[in-house]
Amino acid sequence: MVTELPKKDVVIVGAGWTGLAAAKELADAGQSCVVIERGDWRHDASNFGAPEEHDELKYARRKEHMIDTPIKTLSFRNNSDQTALPMRRLGSFLPGKGLGGAGIHWNGQLWRPLPSDLEMRSHYTERYGESILDGMNIQDWGMTYDELEPHLDFFDRVCGTSGVAGNLNGETQEGGNPFEGPRSADYPNPPMKASPPLQMFRDTAEQMGYNPFQMPSANVTQAYENAYGAQLHPCTYCGFCERFGCGYYAKADPIICIYDVVKDHENFELRMNSQVLRVEKSADGKIATGVTYIDENGREVFQPADTVCLNAYALWNVHLMLVSGLGTPYDPATGEGTVGRNYAYQTIAAASVFFDENVWSNPFMGAGALGMTIDDFNGDNFDHTDLGFVGGGYISANQTNGRPINYQPTPPDTPSWGAEWKQAVRESYLHHVGIVCHGSSVAVPGNYLDLDPTYKDAYGQPLLRMTFDFPENDRKMSAYVLSKAEEIARNMDHVRAVGTTNRAAEGESYSVVPYQTTHNTGGAVIGSDPATSVVNRYGQMWDHHNVFVFGACLFPQNLGYNPTGPLMGLAYWTLDHMKNDYLQNPRPLMDA
Amino acid sequence: MPNFSRRVVLMQMGAAGLAALAPGSALAQNRYAELDGQPWSFIDADEARFLASMADVLIPEDDAPSASQAGVVDFIDLQLAGPYGQGAGLFLEGPFEDGAPQQGWQTAHTPASLIRNGIARLESGETHLVDLDAQEREEFVTRLSEGDGFDLGDVPVQTLFDEIWALVKEGYFSDPIYGGNKDYAGWRMVGFPGAHAYYTDHVDKNAPFRAPPRGIAHQPGTGRPADTTRVLSERNTRAIQEEG
Repeated sequence: MVTELPKKDVVIVGAGWTGLAAAKELADAGQSCVVIERGDWRHDASNFGAPEEHDELKYARRKEHMIDTPIKTLSFRNNSDQTALPMRRLGSFLPGKGLGGAGIHWNGQLWRPLPSDLEMRSHYTERYGESILDGMNIQDWGMTYDELEPHLDFFDRVCGTSGVAGNLNGETQEGGNPFEGPRSADYPNPPMKASPPLQMFRDTAEQMGYNPFQMPSANVTQAYENAYGAQLHPCTYCGFCERFGCGYYAKADPIICIYDVVKDHENFELRMNSQVLRVEKSADGKIATGVTYIDENGREVFQPADTVCLNAYALWNVHLMLVSGLGTPYDPATGEGTVGRNYAYQTIAAASVFFDENVWSNPFMGAGALGMTIDDFNGDNFDHTDLGFVGGGYISANQTNGRPINYQPTPPDTPSWGAEWKQAVRESYLHHVGIVCHGSSVAVPGNYLDLDPTYKDAYGQPLLRMTFDFPENDRKMSAYVLSKAEEIARNMDHVRAVGTTNRAAEGESYSVVPYQTTHNTGGAVIGSDPATSVVNRYGQMWDHHNVFVFGACLFPQNLGYNPTGPLMGLAYWTLDHMKNDYLQNPRPLMDA
Repeated sequence: MPNFSRRVVLMQMGAAGLAALAPGSALAQNRYAELDGQPWSFIDADEARFLASMADVLIPEDDAPSASQAGVVDFIDLQLAGPYGQGAGLFLEGPFEDGAPQQGWQTAHTPASLIRNGIARLESGETHLVDLDAQEREEFVTRLSEGDGFDLGDVPVQTLFDEIWALVKEGYFSDPIYGGNKDYAGWRMVGFPGAHAYYTDHVDKNAPFRAPPRGIAHQPGTGRPADTTRVLSERNTRAIQEEG
C-alpha cells in the first residue's frame, strides 16, 4: 500500500548544488518545495572539521562521502559488442550522497563556457565547414553566452569566486584569461596565492607566448558574504579539498552557500534518507504527477506535486527518466530517441614534472582550485585547420593535494615497488608538480546510456548501463594538448625529469578503475530541436512540460572545463524562466 | 590468551626473515610491541608471516622502516576485519563474469576472502614465502605482480596483487589511528606534516616546511601519535608479568 502525502507545488529530487538552488529560488517565489535526498543530513560545522576530516584513508580511499555502490551503481562496457558488467567499486568518477551531494567534495574549480562552446555546431560549421564534425553528434546548446552570463555571474557571487578577470564588458584585462567571454562584473574575490611551481609555470608559459592566469577558484581568498547573505571564510591551503568536505567554510558548497539560507523558509522542506524510485505520470502520459520514493522508515510513499525538478547527479537523472518512462530512450541502431543519447566524459592527460632540490613544491599545501592555467589550447581558441580534431582543453599546473597515500610521484622508468620505488618517492615528494590537460569530450553515436538487461540495484531496478570509449577525435585532441603541456614542462627551470600519462592514448580503452574525474555529462541534453534533445532550451522536458531537468546531464557534449560553473549557470537560467514565466502559466515554453 | 605475542609470531620468520632482509636495525625498529599481546582481529599467524614477508619486499627497510616495521601487518589485519574487508564498498550481486580489465573488480570475493583464499592457495605447497631468502622473495613478488605462472582458482592473481599492494601503501601512509604508519614512519619519510594543516603564510614560499608530523590523534608535546591501543597493551603486559 503506497502512502499518498499532501500535494506540494514542487518536488525536487536531490539536495546538491542544483536542488538546493532550485529550492531557494522557488521557495522565495512562493512555491511550497520539498527536497528528497537519498543520503544523510550533514553540515560543514558539525561534520567536516579538522583534524578528523583530514583522514585520507577514510575519505579519499574508502570514499565515505561518495555513493555506496552496493545500493547504487551502474554497469559498464567500452562498446556494444561487449557485455556490460557492474562497476562494483568506485574508481573513475565519484558521485556523492547526502546533503550537498557531490558539491561537498568538489575542488571548486569554477569555470564558464566559452561563447563558441555554447554554439559549437554553428561555430565550427561557419569557421571550418560542416564536414569537420562528421561522425559526431555535436550540437548547439540552444542559448547564447550573453543569455547565460547574468546567471554565471550570479553563481560567482553565490560562491565568492576568486580570480582575475580576463574580459570585463568586452575589455581585455591584464593577467586574466583573454579568451573568456565578457564578464559583466569582476570576480568577487582576488586570486589565490601561487605556490613556487605555479609561479614557474606562469613565467615559462609567458616566455613561450602563452597567456597564463590563476585558475578561477571557489576556495575563497578573504572573508566574503555571498549573494544570499551567507558568510564564507578564507582558505587555509590545507590540501584536503577534493573528496573532503571543508570545515573552514572556505570552499563554497551547497550547504553553507544555500542550505543555511533556505532551511528555515516556510516553503522549504527537506526529507533525508529517502530514495526516489520513479517519477509518476498522468493517465495520458503528458505531465508528471509527482514522485514515488522509499522514505527513511522504508515505506513506499507518493509525493504529488504540480512541478517536478530532477536534480540528481547527471547519471542518476538519466536513470530516473529511463525507469520512469520519461521521454524516449535513445536507440543507437536507428539514432532515434534522446534519453541516454550524447553521453560524454572528460579527456584527461597530464605531464608530471620532477624538480631538483632547489624547488620546494610542498605538495601538501594545496587547495582544490590552486592552479596556474593557460587556455590557449581550449575550445576553438586555436586554429583547428588540418589538425584532424575539434575541441581542446586547458593546461594547468595544479597543486590540489599532497596526501601521501594517493600522491607518490616517481620519475619515468622507476620500478612500481621495492627499494628503488621507495627511494624515488622520498626524493620526489617535495619537489614535484602535475600539469593537467583537462580535455573536452565530443558526443558520438556509440557512446550512450540505457538500462542494463541483467543487473539490478538494491531497489530491484535495472542498473544504468554506460557504453563508452574515448572517441578518435578526443584521442587526437588529447595527444596534441599533452604535447603542448610537455613542452612547457621541459622549458621550466630546475626540471630533472618529465613523465606523461594520457588516459585517451591510442590503443588504450577507457577504464572505470583509475580515478579520472567526476565529470559525467549528457544523456538528457538541452537544445532547441526535440529530435536531438530531451529538454528545450529552458531545461523543460519536451514530452512533459512540468518536468524540469538540471545538471551536467544537460550538456550536449562536454566542455574543456569543469562542469559546476556551466551547470549552475544553466540552473539559474532555468529557474529564472520558471519563476518569471512558467509558473504563472504552466505550459510548454517552446513549440515542439 | 595471555601468552600471545604478535612479535613472537613475526620473529618466526627465521634467518631469512626481517633481519636478514636488511641487517642491523630491524629488531630495534620493530613496533609490534604496541599491539603485541593482542590477538589478530582477522588474520592468523601464517597469514601474518606471509603478509609481512610480502610487504617488506614491496617496501623494504632502508633509512626508513620497512612496511612491517611501520605496522602495516597490524593495519591490514584491522582493515580486513572491518567494513572494507567485509565488502562494504563493493556491489556483490551476480551473475559474475571475468570481464575486461577496464571493467574493474569482478570477483565475488570480498577483499578479506580474496586475500585469505589467495594466500591459502599461494602457500598450499611445502615451501612458504617466509622460508625463502631475500632474493627468492623478491622473485616471487615479481612473478605475482606480473600474474605469471599462478593458478589460484577463482582468485584473480592481478587483483590479489593490486589489493595487497594498495593495502601496504595505505598502511604505510595513512593516519596512525589505523594501526600503520607507526610513529609517522611513512609521513616522516616523505615530509608530510599530517592532518593539522594551515599553510596560508607558507604556500607561496620556495622553502622547506620543517614542522614535524601531527596526526588526527596527535599527543601535543610528545612528537608522537596517541596510541589508542597502548593502554590495553600495557594492561596485557602487566598481566603476563604477573602471571610469570
